[in-house]
This record gives sequence, structure tokens and C-alpha cells, in this order.
Amino acid sequence: MTFIDLLLLGFGEAMSPANLGFCLLGALLGTLIGVLPGIGPTATIAVLLPITFFLPPLAGIIMLAGIYYGAQYGGSTTAVLVNLPGEASAVVTTLDGYKMAQQGRAGAALAVAALGSFFAGTVATFGIALAGPMLSQFALSFGPAEYVALMIFGLLAATILASGPVLKAIGMILIGLLLGMVGTDQATGAERLTFGAVELFDGIDFIVIAIGLFGFSEIITNLERSGSEGVTVAPLTRLWPTRQDFRDSWAAVLRGTGIGTLLGLLPGGGATLASFSAYSLEKKVSRHPERFGTGVVEGVAAPEAANNAAAQSSFIPLLTLGIPSNNMMAMMLSAFMIHGITPGPSVLTNQPEIFWGLVASMWIGNLMLVIINLPMIGLWVKLLTVPYRLLYPAILLFCCIGVYSMNNRIFDVILAAGFGLLGYLFRKAKCEPGPLLLGFVLGPLLEANLRRTLLITQGDPSIFVERPISLTMLVATVALLGLMILPAFRKTREAAFQEDEA
Amino acid sequence: MAGPGVPNRGDRPDLLTAAIFMGFGALGLWLARGLEAGTVAQMGAAYLPRVVCILLIGVGLVIGIAALRRDAVSIEAMRLRPLAVITLAIVGFAFAATHLGFVLAALWLIIAGSLADPGGKWRTVLLLAGGLTAFGALVFVKGLGVQVPLWPV
Repeated sequence: MTFIDLLLLGFGEAMSPANLGFCLLGALLGTLIGVLPGIGPTATIAVLLPITFFLPPLAGIIMLAGIYYGAQYGGSTTAVLVNLPGEASAVVTTLDGYKMAQQGRAGAALAVAALGSFFAGTVATFGIALAGPMLSQFALSFGPAEYVALMIFGLLAATILASGPVLKAIGMILIGLLLGMVGTDQATGAERLTFGAVELFDGIDFIVIAIGLFGFSEIITNLERSGSEGVTVAPLTRLWPTRQDFRDSWAAVLRGTGIGTLLGLLPGGGATLASFSAYSLEKKVSRHPERFGTGVVEGVAAPEAANNAAAQSSFIPLLTLGIPSNNMMAMMLSAFMIHGITPGPSVLTNQPEIFWGLVASMWIGNLMLVIINLPMIGLWVKLLTVPYRLLYPAILLFCCIGVYSMNNRIFDVILAAGFGLLGYLFRKAKCEPGPLLLGFVLGPLLEANLRRTLLITQGDPSIFVERPISLTMLVATVALLGLMILPAFRKTREAAFQEDEA
Repeated sequence: MAGPGVPNRGDRPDLLTAAIFMGFGALGLWLARGLEAGTVAQMGAAYLPRVVCILLIGVGLVIGIAALRRDAVSIEAMRLRPLAVITLAIVGFAFAATHLGFVLAALWLIIAGSLADPGGKWRTVLLLAGGLTAFGALVFVKGLGVQVPLWPV
């Protein structure tokens, strides 16, 4: 089938009434949680994952994807209007976006953000469409050794490009690996690390960890801090940007899209890193860097385009190689597995409608979001005034139903509560739970491939340096580690995350 | 500078991290003590777990020692109420859902869960509980077919 045929197949799938409906639902939900601080796409997707079990495969995945990139749109709305980034990736948008709002140009800021995001989303969708088949071909030449090297590179890159001390992140990954090994060992049939509990024979369910670590512990931590202050909203006047705004921002959008697409591909990359990098790049490239922070439209256009591009292009490693590049993608991987689909090269050949349907729906979703967001801004802002005390019981209920509905077992819910406590401890210890999830998801894969490799070579590890692809990955890993040691790199990295925490 | 071990030293969050890491490592090693490690070529069930645990203990040690040498940083204040209330609410939900059905479990969850927030008013809580329970019953049990009995069996 030619490229056009495949795209048409995808659009045909994506435009069925059910799939359109779920796309819309996902986009709306995503915008909603993007607007609301205190709940993010990771937690939401964790909660909705078990629900997608009851939906047809493509519909569920479309919805979850919609939530992810929808949240990017929503986060920017509050960043501009209320100086409250709903998402980490929208933090940079507050710098210039809120200033623009205070100058009465909120509408322009929001419109530029929405249109820039739409452009970026379109480009990224094409990127997936083009890269998908190419990378899959490439991935077919991957043997177990390459997968091991790729996963190690991915895990390490994820820690380095994520926030927080690298050593802590490595520890979290190790804990994740350990948790992934709970249950019956595939190769030997022995049950390990289970405390003898029958319920753990099949291992720990991904949902249990995800909801516990991200859902429950988030609620507990938020309640600890509490205090739902009233938010002061900047007035909304001009909805449409001026021609000057357009002229200033189009180049920024292009640059942002480029950075976003690239950084989304990298393991550990993602919307947040992309938006920060795009902002820094704009500042460096601009003729008036000192004006950044006073309400410069490029300061909104670039990060917004970048975070959308990254959100979508981070699907590429998952869909083509089957490797999730950040914890959002780890969730999506679970969503696929729930429906018995193993993403990777085989999906493109055996079930092309899944891949192309998803790609087409991403573009449709972006379109829906632009149409929804601009007129509905007033509604979203009203939602911000809902106090957290009304929200969290609902979140709590959805989380509990989600976990319980997996196996109708008390044990699962109690285990999730336990992970909630653990997540609480982690936050007190200032450890990021994200890498743990990645380690958990990749652990079994890593072990299986490692075993296979070493079995083939009868224990000889030199295969990792003999095979070219594997060697390249390992060199890249070492290079990344080397970068971490360089003081200059560390300073830049810390500076970027200082802004995040501020 | 005062010597190590004096109260104005020790990055507490990092010390907690070190404790967690080493705890997991030790626990893993203990749990896997009866299993076969095998050889590199033929990895047994315990091979990779042991490697990971040893690495964990190592990382924990490094973090812990570095933390001991830094100036004191305290841990964010711990408030017991949200922690205890939410945990109990969740556990209670699980038991209630199994024996008492969805409606009672959901009501418990929301009412008990609201106790974690001191500022709530009873009327709001009860209205919220009723509304959410109805929503949950309609959307999840009737609509999506989640297999939970609505009423006590």
C-alpha cells in the first residue's frame, strides 16, 4: 500500500463516529485537566487505563492520546490567564504569556498559543507518518543485544534529561526494575520476591503502581499543602492577534516545532524539556533578548509549539520500536498491552489500521482542540474557581474504581494504597517517581533480552560492542554520562529546573 | 564546622532516600535468598534481582554519605491527617465494594475522604457524595460494565 492509501485508511478509521467521539472526549478531558492544577495527564491516564479495557482498542488509545496533547493546550490557557501553569510544560509560557494578559493581550497570547500548537501538531503528525514505516524497517534489524543497549540508553537518557539529581533517578529506576521482577520468572518458572502471596504470582499490575504513585500520593500531598486560594483572572479583551504578532511569531513557531519534534523523540525528553529549550533558543536567537519576560509573543509561540510537537513525537519511539521514552508513553504502552497489541515493527505490518488510525486521529484531535479552545476559554477559566475540596473526592473515586475493576480484588486496592504511601515518602525524600515507572515497564523486557543475548553468546558480553547498532547506543550512553560530569552542562540543567520549581 | 552526626548536619530528604534505597535493596536480597542465581550465560531467577539490589544498596550508600556531609536540610512538614484519612478511606472502599456493593463503598469513600480536608461543610459533602455515587454508578457500572455489584449481596 502506498503512503496515501495508508493515510486514507487511517482517516477512515479515525473518522468513525465512535472514534471521533472518543477523540473529542479525550481532547476535552485533556484540556480540562490541563487547566486544573493538581491533576495532570499522567494521573488521569493512569486512572482511565483500566476503563479503556472496556472500549474497543483504537478508541481507547485515541482517547488517551487526546488527553495527553489536550493537556498541553489546557495548561497554556491557565498559564496565560492566571499565571498558574496547569502543566509543567506550561511554566515557561507564564513568563511572557501572563505579562501579555496583563497588558490586555490575553486573547492574542492564547490564539498564538493555540495556532502555534496546531501547526506543531500537524507537523509532528506528519513526522510520525513518515518516520513510522522508516524506523520500523530499521527496527526489524534489531536483535536482543540492540534492544538491551537501546533500553539502557533510554533509561539513562531519561534520568539525565529529567529533573532532579541523576543518582536518585538511577536509584528509582533500579527500584522500578526490582518491582518489575516481582512474580513468576518467565524463564525459570520460579516465583520470586512475592512474600509468598498468591496475588503477586502474576506480578504487580501496572495500574496499581501508576494510580498509587501518581494518583493517591498526589492527592495526599495536595491535601497536605491545601489552601484553595481564589484566583485573579486577567481580563480578556482582544481575541485575535494583530498582524504584527503573526509576523513576529511565525519564525518562533517554526523553531519551536523543530526543537519539540526532536526532543520528543529522545528518551526522557518530552513536552516540558521541549518548551524550556524552545524558550531558551528564542531568547538566544532574538535581536532583543532583554525584552523576554515583558510580554513578547515569541516567548509564548515557541514553547507552545514545542510542547505540542514533543507530546506527539514522543509517540514515535513507542509506535515504531516499542520502547516508551517517558512515563506518559509507558502508560500508553500499557494501554496497548491491555488490548493485546504489542507496539513495534509488527504492528505496522499486521495491524496498520491501529497505527494509521492513531496518527490520523492525532491530527483530527489537534483540529478539534483549536476549535474548542478558542471559544470555550471563558468556561475553562470558570472551572479554575472550583475548589480542590470538591475535585479530589471525584479523583479519589475514579482512582479506586479503576484499580478495583481490574480484578475485583481487595488486595489490588490495598497494594495501591501502599504505593500511595510509598509515593508520599518519595516526595518527602524529594525523589521523582517517574523513572520508577519507566524501570518497571522496561524491567521485564530488559531482563528477557539480556538473558537471550547472553544465552546466545554463552555468557560473552563482547557482543554488545561487536554489533554496530548496539555499540553506537553504548557510546551514546557513555557520552551522556560524560556530559553529566561536565560542570557547565550541570549548571545549565540545574538552571532549567530551578525555573520549573520556582 | 562541627563534626559529623551533630544535628545541624545531614540533608534529611537525601538521608531518607538513602534509607529507602538501601531498604529495598536489602529486602530484595533477603527475599531472593533461596533462589538460584545461575551463571551469566544461563541466568537464574535470582541473578538480575541480586545485581539490582546490590546496585541499589551501593547507590543508597553514596547518596547517604554525601547527605551526611551536607548542611542540614529538613523534610517538609508531615501532616498525619490527610495521609491517614485517605489511606483508610481507600482501604475501606475495597472492603466495602466486595461485601457491601458499589453504592455503599462509594459513599464511604467520599464521606470518609472528605474528612481529610478540615474546611468542608457537611451539606456539601453529602451532596457531593450522593452526586458522585450516582455518576459513578451510571457511568462505570451501568455504562462501562465494571463488574461490581451495586447493592449488598
